[in-house]
Amino acid sequence: MPKPKVAITWLGACGGCDEAIVDLNENLLSVAEAVELVLWPVALDLKYQSLENLKDGEIALSVITGCVRNAEHLEIARLLRRKSQIVLAMGACACFGGTPGLANFRGKEDIFNWVYRESPTVTNPSGGFPQTSCQVDGNTLTLPEFFDHVYTLNQAIDVDYYLPGCPPPPDLIANALNAVITGDLPPKGSTLAPRKALCDVCVRNKTKPENFEITTVKRIYEVEADPETCFLAQGIICLGPATRAGCGETCLNTNTPCRGCFGPVPGVTDAGTRFLSALATLMKGEAGSDPKELIAAIVDPAGYFYRFSQPASLLGRRTIE
Amino acid sequence: MEKYKPKVVCFSCKFGWGYLTDSATLCAQTKNFIPVTCTSKVGASHVLEAFRHGADGVLLLGCPEGKCHFQDGNFRAAKRMYLLQQVIQAFGLEPERIGIRLDCDPAGSDIPQYVHEMETNLTKLGPVRLL
Repeated sequence: MPKPKVAITWLGACGGCDEAIVDLNENLLSVAEAVELVLWPVALDLKYQSLENLKDGEIALSVITGCVRNAEHLEIARLLRRKSQIVLAMGACACFGGTPGLANFRGKEDIFNWVYRESPTVTNPSGGFPQTSCQVDGNTLTLPEFFDHVYTLNQAIDVDYYLPGCPPPPDLIANALNAVITGDLPPKGSTLAPRKALCDVCVRNKTKPENFEITTVKRIYEVEADPETCFLAQGIICLGPATRAGCGETCLNTNTPCRGCFGPVPGVTDAGTRFLSALATLMKGEAGSDPKELIAAIVDPAGYFYRFSQPASLLGRRTIE
Repeated sequence: MEKYKPKVVCFSCKFGWGYLTDSATLCAQTKNFIPVTCTSKVGASHVLEAFRHGADGVLLLGCPEGKCHFQDGNFRAAKRMYLLQQVIQAFGLEPERIGIRLDCDPAGSDIPQYVHEMETNLTKLGPVRLL
């Protein structure tokens, strides 16, 4: 019996999700035994042309990491969608846009100006920008078009399952791969992670005060946080109340507050606004007092609340036509 | 070219605004009028959904300071809206597109005027232009 074909690829990604797959360690050998890898650019030398040659739907599972930032990402995503029975969006970038999505707070022109002209480490006397096509020695060189927006994977193609995280922990990756191999899959559109909020599983939860009253907002680098006390109780912004559990709490274990890479809990579409509403409630203030000073102490609230989810947010989301 | 007329969505607390007038009358005199049990029930996502569905501005009418039927819901809403004003700027929206007024108007007769004032201010800003 032929082994099911599996493709793994990265779009606008850092490679951390691929590293997390490698972190399956010896389990990776049993995965490799059970499936036939037809694409994994970070580890294997396979060509896109070989994908083109496959029949539509011949790949059992495509694991796609990263956001859709340029025309090449879109082309690969669409090709894999056509050839695959199941597409798994893996990692915060594929699911919600991830940290590259913060670029949506700037336009393409701003980004190009900074990266190719104004940045102090750039020397560019001609002031040129990368072009999608140019002539060099009589030859035409091409580059994929850089879109003016960062898209999540499901804004570009139909996605069957989601596995968030930056990166997703190996245990959830193994569960997801096993589910596909054995055919034991939840309904389409499911997120293959726990349904609770991070606060529900946080060991610091028991130190949470009865009545929250955040009087000063501090950034984690400004203080030496108590390693056992709830971050929010210390005035340090932690996105745990509005973030899905399942990450393995690696940040919390290293005394770092949650940044929200697992995205919203089920039923919530915009994690940022949900956290915003919660945080505003927790901030101290009495009727008649002015909350503006306290709130002004939050540096870059939009960047903080939407660190991983700007392209999936209510105001930031778009779909590729 | 048709003259630009901004759309305002108005969330209004039933305990402080228009409780002497029936909802049908209030809704008839103000477009996109949404009575709520307390302004604290208006989440940040409701406001952003309004923008996403074409609103140019969102006005919250809450009870006067210290007079919330639910202790401090109006103050919670004020904190939330102020924080949301900071956030929407990053998306290219002006903070003036979110307004909150803590006051009391049992007949609700002043509501159209407050909405009109906001419309006038929004006319100067023009339509929403998201980044």
